[in-house]
Amino acid sequence: MLEGVLVDLVPYGKAFLENERRWYNSEVYFWGTAGDRAVFTRAQVERWQAERAEGAERRASTSVWFGILTKDGKPLGDIALDEMLPHHRVALIGEMIGEPEYWGGGYGTDALLLIVEYAFDWLDLRKLWLSTMGINARMQRAALKVGFREEARRRWFWYADGVWTDDVMFGLLRDEWPGRDALVERLGLRAREEV
Amino acid sequence: MFEGTLVDLVPFEDDYATYLESWMNEEAWFRAHLWDRREPHPEDAVKKYIEKMEKNERAALIGYQTKAGDPIGGLIYDHEWSRVRKVEVTFFTGDSRYEGTDEVLDGLLMLARYCFETRNMHRLDAMSLAFDEARIDALRRAGFVHEGTLRQHIRWDGDYVDVELYGLLEDEWPGYAARIEALGLQASDLEPKPKPEKKLEDEKALDEKILAP
Repeated sequence: MLEGVLVDLVPYGKAFLENERRWYNSEVYFWGTAGDRAVFTRAQVERWQAERAEGAERRASTSVWFGILTKDGKPLGDIALDEMLPHHRVALIGEMIGEPEYWGGGYGTDALLLIVEYAFDWLDLRKLWLSTMGINARMQRAALKVGFREEARRRWFWYADGVWTDDVMFGLLRDEWPGRDALVERLGLRAREEV
Repeated sequence: MFEGTLVDLVPFEDDYATYLESWMNEEAWFRAHLWDRREPHPEDAVKKYIEKMEKNERAALIGYQTKAGDPIGGLIYDHEWSRVRKVEVTFFTGDSRYEGTDEVLDGLLMLARYCFETRNMHRLDAMSLAFDEARIDALRRAGFVHEGTLRQHIRWDGDYVDVELYGLLEDEWPGYAARIEALGLQASDLEPKPKPEKKLEDEKALDEKILAP
């Protein structure tokens, strides 16, 4: 649906749902939820998915949810615009790469570039923001690479593996965005053989 | 009733429910709820809001009033999160005469006291529009620490304005009594306002009902 260099953003359908139990019962969940760890049964995940499907219509005006798919068709995770407020024209971005072997390879950054372009050029949003744990250096690097600026550091906001860590908040104004093509060029993102 | 130095915390009902019908459509309300769309709140919406807050186990709307019983406005905690023991706090000065007074500051201190000393929170989150000096002053005096600025985050009267973020950690909270001693709060001694008309009408109706054969 949205074509990038390393990934495409597509509807978050069955191919993604089938991976959720594995993703949620792994290290991925810790990073995706900012410090939570859980052990989910199949039934719990299925119930969660059913509840989410029931609420999809209600959330439609405030969120847009994509699956992240590699160029050879592997479901990698999800990325979403959430808490969209048309009167302020802002939205929160959430992202999770469910396959750790793809971490640090530019896949998350490519997905981020795609959703920023979508938010500004299709939804006419004016500002995007995201937040992550102080210990999540990967997410912070990706945000800065894409042009976000650090705006706030909420102290001891998250509790992760027995220690308090900050919440680092980033913001990107549309006026500051040089466009996806310019950033793809600047970052040197190139198509490559898959992992 | 939860007794403070200049104010007491009371259930948000009776006169408060009546006052909220106007308060919820006034400037102070929208400053405290800066994410919300500015829109009119008719009586039904006000009633539903109070009911929603009463049912919400992770939030509360609490009335605060002077020692003479004059309602000032509301104290709110919301999105209490047990895993990280944090909660968002805000307040509104429904009776604008009290804006910037130590009664409002005491209300905020009482809210912090309740969150830390009763609900065992680790962290309080607060935010303010950048130009809301009275709110920022109250947060600072209560001990909240500025943690950053969300640039041009909120549409406000034709402009995009910044939002200032504040936090207060349990390690930074010396306890209500110590905070009060350090601040030396002064009562503003404003004349209590007359009871709301609607209340008088309700009482009259009740009297008529009682007197009816």
